[in-house]
Amino acid sequence: MTYRLGIDTGGTFTDLILMDRDGRVELFKTPSTPHDPPEAIRHGIDLVSRSLGIETSEFLGECDLIIHGTTVALNALIQLKGAKTGLFCTRGHEDSLEIRLGHKEDGHRYDFLFEPAVMLVPRRHRVPVSERVTSDGSIRTPLDEDDIYRGIELFKRDGVEAVGVCFLWSFRNPDHERRVGEILSREMPDANVTLSVDLLPQIREYTRVSTVAVNAFIGPILTRYIDSIESLLRDLGYSNPIRYVQSNGGLTSGRVLAVKAVAALNSGPAAGPSASLFFSSSLGKSEILTLDVGGTSSDISLIHDGRVDLVKDVDIARYRIGLPLVNVVSIGAGGGSIAWIDPQGILHVGPQSAEAIPGPACYGLGGKQATVTDSLVVLGYLSQESLLGGELPISSEAAQAVVRERIGRRLNLSDARAALGIFSVVNANMVSGIRAVSVERGYDPRDFVLVAGGGAAAAHAGRLAQELGIHRVLVPKVASGLCAFGEVIADVKHSYLASYTSSLPLLDPDHLNRLFGELEDQGRRDLAEEGFSSDEIVIERSVDMKYVDQVHECSVPIPVFQIDRDRVARLADAFHTRHEALYTYCERDNTPELINVEVTVYGRSPRVAIPSEGAPAAECCHMMPAQEREAYFAEYGEYRKTRVFDGLKLRQGHWIEGPAIIEEPTTTIVAFPSSSIKLLRSDLYVIEIEGAR
Amino acid sequence: MKEAPLTSSIDPGGHVDPITLAVVRGAFETAQREMTLTMQRTGRSSVLTISRDFSNAIFNGTPEMLVQGQDLPIHLGSLILATKSVAEYFADDVRPGDVFFHNDPAYDGSHIADWCMYKPVYFDDDIVFWTVSKGHMADAGGPVPGSYNPDAREIYAEGLRIPPIRIVDEGRERSDILNMLVTNTRTRRNQAGDLRAQQGAVNVGERYLRTILEKYGKEEVKACASELLDLAERQMRSRLTSLPDGTYSGGRMVEDIGHGLGDKEIKVRITVDGARLRVCLEAPPQIPFYTNSYRANTTSGVYLGLVMFLRPDPPYNEGMYRPIEIDYGPPGTMVNAREPAPHVACTTCPSETITDAVRDTLNTAYPSHAVAGWGHCSAVNVSGIDPRDGQEYVHMMVSCLMCGAGAVGGAMDGWHAIGPQAGLGGATCGDMELLEYHYPLLVKRYTLTTDSGNPGEWRGGCGVTHEVEAIGHKMTAVVWGEGRKYPASSVLGGGSEQIERRVGRVEVVRHESKVETIGANTVLTLAPGEVFITRSAGGGGVGDPFRRDPQKVLGDVLDCHVSIQAARAEYGVAIDPETMTVCVDQTNALRVACEKRI
Repeated sequence: MTYRLGIDTGGTFTDLILMDRDGRVELFKTPSTPHDPPEAIRHGIDLVSRSLGIETSEFLGECDLIIHGTTVALNALIQLKGAKTGLFCTRGHEDSLEIRLGHKEDGHRYDFLFEPAVMLVPRRHRVPVSERVTSDGSIRTPLDEDDIYRGIELFKRDGVEAVGVCFLWSFRNPDHERRVGEILSREMPDANVTLSVDLLPQIREYTRVSTVAVNAFIGPILTRYIDSIESLLRDLGYSNPIRYVQSNGGLTSGRVLAVKAVAALNSGPAAGPSASLFFSSSLGKSEILTLDVGGTSSDISLIHDGRVDLVKDVDIARYRIGLPLVNVVSIGAGGGSIAWIDPQGILHVGPQSAEAIPGPACYGLGGKQATVTDSLVVLGYLSQESLLGGELPISSEAAQAVVRERIGRRLNLSDARAALGIFSVVNANMVSGIRAVSVERGYDPRDFVLVAGGGAAAAHAGRLAQELGIHRVLVPKVASGLCAFGEVIADVKHSYLASYTSSLPLLDPDHLNRLFGELEDQGRRDLAEEGFSSDEIVIERSVDMKYVDQVHECSVPIPVFQIDRDRVARLADAFHTRHEALYTYCERDNTPELINVEVTVYGRSPRVAIPSEGAPAAECCHMMPAQEREAYFAEYGEYRKTRVFDGLKLRQGHWIEGPAIIEEPTTTIVAFPSSSIKLLRSDLYVIEIEGAR
Repeated sequence: MKEAPLTSSIDPGGHVDPITLAVVRGAFETAQREMTLTMQRTGRSSVLTISRDFSNAIFNGTPEMLVQGQDLPIHLGSLILATKSVAEYFADDVRPGDVFFHNDPAYDGSHIADWCMYKPVYFDDDIVFWTVSKGHMADAGGPVPGSYNPDAREIYAEGLRIPPIRIVDEGRERSDILNMLVTNTRTRRNQAGDLRAQQGAVNVGERYLRTILEKYGKEEVKACASELLDLAERQMRSRLTSLPDGTYSGGRMVEDIGHGLGDKEIKVRITVDGARLRVCLEAPPQIPFYTNSYRANTTSGVYLGLVMFLRPDPPYNEGMYRPIEIDYGPPGTMVNAREPAPHVACTTCPSETITDAVRDTLNTAYPSHAVAGWGHCSAVNVSGIDPRDGQEYVHMMVSCLMCGAGAVGGAMDGWHAIGPQAGLGGATCGDMELLEYHYPLLVKRYTLTTDSGNPGEWRGGCGVTHEVEAIGHKMTAVVWGEGRKYPASSVLGGGSEQIERRVGRVEVVRHESKVETIGANTVLTLAPGEVFITRSAGGGGVGDPFRRDPQKVLGDVLDCHVSIQAARAEYGVAIDPETMTVCVDQTNALRVACEKRI
């Protein structure tokens, strides 16, 4: 391998991470071009080639692998700019998609002006089909093919581009769905077709039909996008594989992703945890929280025992998705989040954002609202002159003016206290987000290390750690391009699901072994097709379990072994333990039940060498601070002269006692009082919190 | 109505630090959310886990409700009274680690199907909070599975009545008492799990509240709590001040759904006086039928009507209700019932009527702010012996309750199939495959009902049609609820004379396709293969339907929410069935003719 290139297209910036054969990485940033994302990619590749002093075609000739994370699918869903979609449903159930389980989203209970979600497939394109499979898989009503042909006629007339098929209990007996698939491939050969049994063969009809609808809706958009990226890179002279990040945190080929577009929804943020795992390996930690703070939002995720925490059956942009995806809790708390005061006089921050344009007031691009970034400038945490290594000039006067006008005056607070208020409230929102991925999922955040990613996280992470009782925070030098970095080192990953409902006493170990075997064989075949040899393939299993009389299941990871009766008992133990961690109690005398079976296969990317740790810590006084500036810390209740270091001048092993500020070209790190910071490896800082467990 | 002034209520340099206040407020909400998550994920009965028919709340030490979260409004209003009743009952006999329990409406419970737990949260020997959880049980005992007994003439015939009791004594669970409770129910296995889920919820709430207390200190947190209550109160007062003073009267009928005593009117008189509002209720004497409401449940109904009309901004807590006074009238009426009045239907009927009466009275007084009513609940609970395992099951078909929501004047159409008004969208119908998996039934149909939303310039939402077949066993179907005679409240010229599709309906399809329409609440038996069909009521409309944008009407027709015939007759919009486009000339003619008629 000569080079690996990760390209992460975000809302504001397109990040490119170049990794050479020795594992050295370099981050490039170029503004995103939402009207035509490939344009920014082309520009970014030019930037990289130029920095290497070679032609673009020569650089791409030396690249072994390009990995891409994109928000195209998510944007199409959020902006409702998907394909015209048709849906075949079991007659009598054509409105599940619109009834949406009869629920109005939490957070809007007393909001009488909250509109219903827009239908991705309106009723006029949801075609009821006479057919019925029952819960035991038997056929009660045979498929009426006339309904299908009539539907196809309608779809053709109305220019439907994508068709989903979701029948009740199809995962117990897929014959009807498969037959519709055959007819569609003959009658509408160009249509993008999604069968629920291919995409999500699991119980819960609403979840399935919604996932199918989303997949069909965004499928054609994503397919066209993948085509445009692949032809762009081909035209530029690249001929090696291109892989894409999926919502489950792993990579896949464009071919696979095109038929499973819904797996691309979280494409960008899902790569963050891989990067965190890489950086945490130095500490020997496999319990990791990742906080990635961008301009408009914070993405938070969790790794337990080295495995990324996944969720299923959650809403993305108001649409239910059943495929496992990295549990990324995204909250409207970023550098551009706007501080405001509600009619009751309570201070809030976000979710509205000043976005890239006009951005925070301190950018001087016309922003008139007080944002989180403005508060960081007023507090003295961020440079009063410029950011991004001098490329982004900062107006501290503008920051001070909006913080005073928008917040301070109205709450009768000094500029510093008003800024501290904004900082504290946004931190509280982030704490709540971190609780959502940890406490609410049965994990104690104090057992975790926090990895700060995105340009803005490093100013908050030290404080969040203190709030949550977290002992250590890791800040990679490439924090600002954490996801792109994660993309470069991620593995190819596929999840395979099957349904098997059985209480543990009645469970047939042979059937379970057979199911796992089938899913694993499928996984091996798919990875072999993508060029992986058997020694590069890793397999993980999990099962969804619940108490027999419960409705909601939880996922329990299990080792890969031949299952016999003894091991079924161990399965029960693992479930009781997980239940207790999640909900404070378990019922050892109750009967656990298996619901779903899941296999995850990984095609390992070549490992990247981890830079070694530095020499023993040097004394802080051995270094000359680059400068000092006034910064305000809640502990002191006043501005104090605070040392500000140039990160590029620090050497491995240097440590500094807080309060202190370290300025890196693409991020600013704050070490708060009662903490210290050390450059642990050439590419990584660690903040240690005093007094934390 | 004027918007509340933006800044007048702010207390500059008040007695709490605004930064701490903002942070603590979020933490309270997180604690409440974590309680709810615990209930939903670990409960057993489908009524909790699939349908979310439960609510959790956090009270301060007084106890006053600090967080009225996203759970069901019908539960939360009554909890305000219930928590005080329970705290008062035990008075000084409360110790750390205790958990109390009750369901009795005579002690301000809502109805006996709602089982409640109350845990005092101690810090430094002081009760700083109460964490409270209320859950609708699949069964509360009594002669009819699910405890909706249309033949009960007294509360004693409805099910198990539990006054305040102690179920955890200084951390030691009283398993004998818990066993006594569940032994009186048909689904004891599930219910033991449900009670454990509730205990999980009050513990999870306590766990986080203690963290907050440790971090910010008891006095600071208490000050924040009382400031949040004051904020909600000040906001409500400023909303009320913006209404012109006056006294307004109104009323609404509770249908006779089987007692034979005729429809009963609930009347209200509302007085707005500066920053205060007083609601006087007047209702007929209580009847020997389960549609009586005890005081706490009535309170929920009144509060909900006020909140729907006034639409206050957050925070939502008990402070909102401080400026509100309720005169329940003399004891022994349908809205101020006394034992032995039967009452189990009360959380929908008559509470929906109470809510409508309050809201509609304000609608008439201040039409510019009008909001229409939701369909009333008409439903079926099912039970029997599941032929697959020989176990008895009881299931409240919350899926039948998915009514259409009312339109909001000048703003939006009603949501379709959003549930009972009493839940404001918090309850859910559940997944049809899960229903078939858990119970011996087959869902033949679960779709929106065309033309069920009441017409208006802003249209009411559609209800659902639900067809369910009994599979392989004799199914008991308990028919309850109302809304089969009067449609949802429409206002300002909304609504229609054609109510047949808009009201609730229950039918049974016997063998050989013999259809019976069920008018009164009753207990039926379905043979294997027989089917019941329920249709839930649509929401109310706001404004003259002839003023609705014809293109919107066309969209409704294309999406089967409105039929071509209704478009013409009720909206004055002619649609060509061939091209499915609006015939502009005909539409204009229809609409002009209508204007002349007026």
